Amino acid sequence: MSYKMNTEQENMLRNIGIVDFVTIEMTEYLDTHPFDREAMEYFNHYMRMKNQMMHDYAVKFGPLSLSVADTCGKEWKWALQPMPWEGGC
Amino acid sequence: MWNYEKRLQFPVKITQPNAKLAQVIISQFGGPDGELAASMRYLSQRYTMPYNEVAGLLTDIGREAPEMFHLRGLRFF
Repeated sequence: MSYKMNTEQENMLRNIGIVDFVTIEMTEYLDTHPFDREAMEYFNHYMRMKNQMMHDYAVKFGPLSLSVADTCGKEWKWALQPMPWEGGC
Repeated sequence: MWNYEKRLQFPVKITQPNAKLAQVIISQFGGPDGELAASMRYLSQRYTMPYNEVAGLLTDIGREAPEMFHLRGLRFF
């Protein structure tokens, strides 16, 4: 089955999903290998990448997490935007 | 302690709702051998795990397992 990603928003979301998956798997590896420096660098690399992507997404389409839900706008977008099962991301 | 992100781990688009399939999926989520039960086992067993790194692992798996399934599956209902 192929998933067509057409819009910029869908593309950005998909890429966040990919990078986030890497960080989740690396977390679990690092839990049991806490002194693996190479793995830590790998984790840091993808975590920084994810943070940047979450920030870029928030600027364009609204926050996906509270850490990027800035309050400089006039409204609190976090609660206003739909949940994934309500037609959101 | 818990945080969540407002997105799915994998994009799901339901074009044709399917109640029969939803029934199977919801039992995988909340049923007797479902993700929620597994998650609670990870999270309660972590308290008696004598090795710190494994306790940490159990915590991370316990919070991840339902999230992966749950957010993917919810769109089916």
